[in-house]
Amino acid sequence: MISCESFRNRFVAETDDAAVLEHLRACDRCLDFAAGIDPDVMFRALGGGELLPPGGVDAFVDGVMQQVRVRSAESTVAAANVLSWPRRLAVAATLAAGISGTMIFYGGRVPAAVATRGAATTPVAIARGVHPVPVEKFATKPVVETYESQNATIVEVPTSETGGNDDVKIVMIFDENLPADL
Amino acid sequence: MKRISMILMALLLVSATAFADAADVGKSLTVRTFQFKHKQADKAAAAIKGLMSAEGSMSIQPAANSLVVTDAPENMKKIAQALAQFDTAAQALKLTIRLVSAGRAAAEAARSDASLSDVASKLALLRYNVLESVGAADVSGREGEAGLVDLGTYRADFHFGDYDPASNSVKLADFRLSRLEGDQLSPILKTTLNLTIGQTVIIGATKQAQSQRALMSVVTAQR
Repeated sequence: MISCESFRNRFVAETDDAAVLEHLRACDRCLDFAAGIDPDVMFRALGGGELLPPGGVDAFVDGVMQQVRVRSAESTVAAANVLSWPRRLAVAATLAAGISGTMIFYGGRVPAAVATRGAATTPVAIARGVHPVPVEKFATKPVVETYESQNATIVEVPTSETGGNDDVKIVMIFDENLPADL
Repeated sequence: MKRISMILMALLLVSATAFADAADVGKSLTVRTFQFKHKQADKAAAAIKGLMSAEGSMSIQPAANSLVVTDAPENMKKIAQALAQFDTAAQALKLTIRLVSAGRAAAEAARSDASLSDVASKLALLRYNVLESVGAADVSGREGEAGLVDLGTYRADFHFGDYDPASNSVKLADFRLSRLEGDQLSPILKTTLNLTIGQTVIIGATKQAQSQRALMSVVTAQR
């Protein structure tokens, strides 16, 4: 087969040179070159010199070349969208490193916004110069821990019934075994 | 390429560890051993029972008179504080006892001793409107000591128990009330009480809820 340089030297419009047409079937770049000079050469190279496509040869060639350009553009875009696994891993690792850094920075402390998320928040107003005093909470125990009689009924009168304060607590022991003349 | 992959894998591992650590922060428990000089470990265990969280646990080591406590760090602070207050030399306590004979009568017959004005309104809620003081006394002692006091024809004897910082209360163990009949003591009741420091507690004893008479023991414990 002749070289591209020989092809371009020997090619002329409406050529039937067998060596030129053979090169044309094998080399796309020279086909583009030849189509610019003689659109019919593609058909002659395929052996269909007498056939005429609908709309004419120029329209057919334009259509084909447009499809080629569209396919080429699609391939380029698709290639840009696909991330190879090393790239994905790199993205994941970058995110992981960022999160790790944040964790280390906060030292295991949960930010307040996260800690209170989902819980109802109540605005608290503290007067200037007044410090809230923590109220000491104690566990409560029953006043009567044990009583010797098993049949007795022991009733602890609720604080709400004794005026609502905790200063005085009343516990009543009802026991049939107790003397009547107490 | 392999090196880059290894580095990336290591980064992922670090990240996973960081996540795991953050998740465990809320669940981590600490273990601490408390040894007691003045109090018994089993009593200390009872004293902090109310302060333990659901995840907490403890074990008593009688030989060393110590208590091994496992709980959340924030809870451990409260427990340590309570145990420090608990493990002190026997504390001085003071008990004020008043014995009151309470009765129900028509409104025009209502009367009350002046010394009982602080409890008269409370007992009126239970329709006891005739109040007579039988006797009153102050008893001082230390944790673990016995106390005995005569109140008119009645006698009260008891043991001062340990002060419990968790409930700010003191136990009055084996509180027995007896009545002197001639030269004989007839037991009336026996109970163990938990008295909150500074709070006046009225222990009423009667046969039935509708009984017209009751014996009220008005007690206040102080440190």
